[in-house]
Amino acid sequence: MSGPPILEVRGVSRRFGGLWAVDSASLSVERGSITSLIGPNGAGKSTLFNIVSGFLRPDSGSVLFEGRAITGRPPHRIAQAGLVRTFQTPRALARLTVLDNLLLATPCHPGERLGRLLLAPGAARRRERQAVERARDLLRLVRLERHADDLAGVLSGGQRKLLDLGRALMAEPRLVLLDEPMAGVNPVVRNQLLEHIARVREELGVTFFFVEHDLEAVMRASDQVVVMSQGRVIASGPPSTIRSQAAVLDAYLGAGP
Amino acid sequence: MSTVASAEFWAFVGVVSGIYTVLALGIQLEFGFAGLLNFGHVAFMAIGAYSMAILTVKAGLSMWLAAVLGILLAAASGLLLGLPTLRLRGDYFAIVTIAFSEIVRYVATNEDSLTGGSQGTINLSGPGAAAQYNGQWERFQAWLQQTLHIGAKDAAMLLVVWVVALGLTAALALAMRTPWGRVLKAVREDEDVAASLGKNVLAYKLQALALGSAAAGLAGCLYAWQFSFFSPDDFAPLLTFFAWMIVILGGLGRTFAVPVGALAFGLVFAGTRFFDFAPFSYFDSAERAYLRLIVIGLLIILLVLFRPWGLLGRRQEALLE
Repeated sequence: MSGPPILEVRGVSRRFGGLWAVDSASLSVERGSITSLIGPNGAGKSTLFNIVSGFLRPDSGSVLFEGRAITGRPPHRIAQAGLVRTFQTPRALARLTVLDNLLLATPCHPGERLGRLLLAPGAARRRERQAVERARDLLRLVRLERHADDLAGVLSGGQRKLLDLGRALMAEPRLVLLDEPMAGVNPVVRNQLLEHIARVREELGVTFFFVEHDLEAVMRASDQVVVMSQGRVIASGPPSTIRSQAAVLDAYLGAGP
Repeated sequence: MSTVASAEFWAFVGVVSGIYTVLALGIQLEFGFAGLLNFGHVAFMAIGAYSMAILTVKAGLSMWLAAVLGILLAAASGLLLGLPTLRLRGDYFAIVTIAFSEIVRYVATNEDSLTGGSQGTINLSGPGAAAQYNGQWERFQAWLQQTLHIGAKDAAMLLVVWVVALGLTAALALAMRTPWGRVLKAVREDEDVAASLGKNVLAYKLQALALGSAAAGLAGCLYAWQFSFFSPDDFAPLLTFFAWMIVILGGLGRTFAVPVGALAFGLVFAGTRFFDFAPFSYFDSAERAYLRLIVIGLLIILLVLFRPWGLLGRRQEALLE
């Protein structure tokens, strides 16, 4: 894990009314790492994710993905560049099938352009066949293969979380931002999921950056931990050093007198 | 009660249903598949019809070329309206479209020198000369009657309109089964998710609006050919809502529900003409015309209450959040 970081956040701030939701936050995510972002409710984690993925503009500061500034670019451009996010509340496309939810994420699909669909229908069909194969593999990975042809709207909350993860991976990203991927997922599946994330990282070199409240899972699964509190980044480092830092305990348990 | 049995009358109902099918396919694409609340659909029908008539009469173009240009102009107007407004939230977009359709109608009413004004297309070449855009269409219809040995003019029109309507329906059904259609549906379900997966949401909405407007433009041309004459009042907002009723009646997000909805709507609308028995006989015929709309409104309310997924919609889909 050497070389320049895949993601750099430099002095990013964002204010909502009188409140600095993110207050000159800086952090970096190493390529190929599993990095987690922790902190109490209202620390600014989701706001930071929204800024990095282009859904919110920062008031100041910059975001660099693979060395290039992506600050203020529209979300779809950031996703096309290889940075894909999921949402805190799972966002299944309810009236599409589970399989279609995944197929939607296929990158650079010629069949998604009317012109190419009419001029080169063969290319679109070939791409679709490959995509279906890959989608079925990913559905097996997130344990939803039995539901491939069901409408996504019938899935439970935990299953929707898994669907979101599979859909994000389908987009062939180099960096995935996961907003609380384990919330509502049953503990057995949760452990398997962590193993799978580790495996996807090993095999495909995908970098993971996620917000999570399950501290035990965080400490076990991640290489790096970033701690936010009241909009600021108050600590970062490997789990072993984070565990012992007083500032982190303060943020979670309340500062002493 | 001779009209009930008249083939001519029912052929007319069929023709109008076919034209409504083409019009409503635009709403199905825009709202049923892409989630756009377009309450000004009729404006694009007006743009298609007027462009065709004006280019034929004033520019002396072939009516067929004029029709193609009219449809393209309707699509281009959709793009032009959508570019600044599709970034708005859905309900604000809806308000803008209503305003747009009224603006188009007022322009058509007041720009006498361009549109013939409130007197309609007969005034297109100015007072004193009865303008006519329909010559080529009538020759085509006569040729068709002769070639296919169809006696009645209405029967020929019925054939043309329904070939077009069902052809377009099939084309939309095919398009929605492609990855392109999948992205449109994703935009309808949750545009943030579509954007987070790299889809250019605005571009897809613009495409839906342009294609939907082109369908309305085509419906406008068919309407113009059927009636040989039209005026701005033919494009009142009510027509937009007829198209919406047809789509809701048939089933949202179901392509083949559109022709079924249009036929059902056409039959109910025409059928209520014959309400001359008690208690309807207490009203005179002018009042009864409004009564029809009330009856149709009640039917739609009952449908939405008891069968919100429409005649052909999927029950399961309507129940998901």
